[in-house]
Parts: sequence; structure tokens; C-alpha cells
Amino acid sequence: MPPTWFSVLRDATIVMVLSAGVALSANALRSSRSISLVAEQEYEILVPCPEFEGKPAAALAPEKVKRGEEGTLFVDAREREDYDGWHLPGAISIPYDYLEPKPEEKKVLRTHARKVVVYGDGDEPDSGQQLANAISGKGVKNVCFVRGGAPALRKRGRK
Amino acid sequence: MTGILDRALSWRGHAVLALPARLYLGFVFIYACVHKIADPGGFALDVATYQLLPLQLVNITALILPWVELFAGVMIVIGLRTRAAAFLITGMMLVFMVALGWALHQDLDMSCGCFASSSEHDPISSLTMLRDAGWLALAVYVLVFDRVPLGLDRLLARRRG
Repeated sequence: MPPTWFSVLRDATIVMVLSAGVALSANALRSSRSISLVAEQEYEILVPCPEFEGKPAAALAPEKVKRGEEGTLFVDAREREDYDGWHLPGAISIPYDYLEPKPEEKKVLRTHARKVVVYGDGDEPDSGQQLANAISGKGVKNVCFVRGGAPALRKRGRK
Repeated sequence: MTGILDRALSWRGHAVLALPARLYLGFVFIYACVHKIADPGGFALDVATYQLLPLQLVNITALILPWVELFAGVMIVIGLRTRAAAFLITGMMLVFMVALGWALHQDLDMSCGCFASSSEHDPISSLTMLRDAGWLALAVYVLVFDRVPLGLDRLLARRRG
């Protein structure tokens, strides 16, 4: 006599309860690798870095940056607050976030600039280099990034 | 119509046809639960990565689910309460497929978490969904058609007379 749907459901429920009991007991008896029943803080979910596609942007030494050069667009890749604190005169702000990349190249293409100079936070990895690569990878020509980013430019400006 | 269905359901060959499906499903589930039981923290991270469950339910799910997989896997292999095991596997496959569909819809670049906690081992894709759909079909077949399965259920039934 095959089991009825009721007995199937009943047995499945018993197995679930039994599994829960064994799972909780095993977790309580573990000397290592046991976990709390309720997570105390959010898990840090790691997102892999996006793979770079296209031609990498060229590096530019800070002393080679010529301000006010016609047809050159300066792009600040840092956070908006950093941009508000200091930026190169005439630079536009495109904060780079690799977790949520946006179509940055469209903003750049709208300016019809002949050359694009990007600077970022100068950290490792440098947001300026990442943004420059992202823009260059989308087919925008003559894109370079300032080696050392905004700190290097500011240091040079003080000299 | 009901007569055809009854005849299809009562065909004795289902027990033989379902046996390889049961063994395959059972070993897949037993194999899948090993790393989850050994490293519940890693599996909890996999569960959290799907961003589907509230934080309060992540750890408890990561703790209990692998043991349900183990029990269901062993039961379907040895033929003990086979249809209940198939029912549990069907339910789990449905849950996994919803989670996978959600992750694919969200474009999450992540590990399936099915057999190992690393995206290099088992990254999610539409192929993962297809694979799960295959396993779901096998589980449904066992659940619906394998009414007198070969294994302990049959032995116990005979003993009871």
C-alpha cells in the first residue's frame, strides 16, 4: 500500500524537525566553527572586482599636467565631498564606484574634449586610474590618469 | 482519463526506473551537504550573499538546511520513507531555484554555494538553473510515480505482511 499524501507530509515534517534537532545539537557541541543562531552583524559580502576590458589609460606625471590647456577635460574621480573640498579649476566630478559602475563615458563624450585627464584619490587602487580605464575601455580616446591622484596635484600646486 | 492516470501510476516498472534517479539524487545531496556541515560559517556567508533572507534567518537556515539535505539524501538512497525524502528534495530544489533565479535577476556574480564556497568552483549561471531543473524533475518523478520503491520501504512493508 503506497503512502498517502498525508503520511508523506507527516514524514517530511518529522525529518525536518529531526534535522533541526541534530543541526542545533551538532552546532552546540562543536568546539570550533560553531556559529550563533542569529547573525549579530551583517555579513560582508565580497563582490569580485570587474575585469578590465579595452585599452588601459596612460599614466601622466603630476608635473606634466598643464592647466587651462584648450580641449582638455579634467575629471575628478573622488567622492563628491572630496571634490567640494578641493578640485582642479574647471574639473568635473564623476565619483567612481566600481561596485556600481555607471556609463561615465557619456558625461565625458558630451564635452567633446580632445583629451581627458582623470585624477582620483591616489590610493591603491587609484580611483582615477580605475575611472580612466573604464572610460578608455568604452572607446574614448586620449584618456590618461594623473599618477598619485589629487594628493600629488595638490603637493605640486603648493611648490 | 482517471483510468489512464491510475494505470500510469500503478505501473510496477517505476520502481526500477526511479532507482537510478534516487541513487543519483541521493548522492548529489549527500555530497552537497558535506562542506556545508563542515563549515557552517562559510555556508552562512553563501546564504547571505543571495540577499534573499533577512539577517535573522541566515544562520539558522545555514545550520539546518544541510542536515535536511543529508537526511533526505540518505533516505532516498536506502529507500526509507522514499516519497517523504523526494518531497523534501522537491521542496529544496524549488527553494534553490527561486534563490538562483533571484540572484541571476539581480546579476549577482557569486558562487552557487551548492557544493563549495567559492565562485571559482561553482559560479551561478543559467546552466545552474537548468541543472537544478533536471534534479527537480527527477525528484518530482520519484515523488509522484515511485509509489512502492525498492529499498527499506518495500522490505518493511513485506515484513508487516
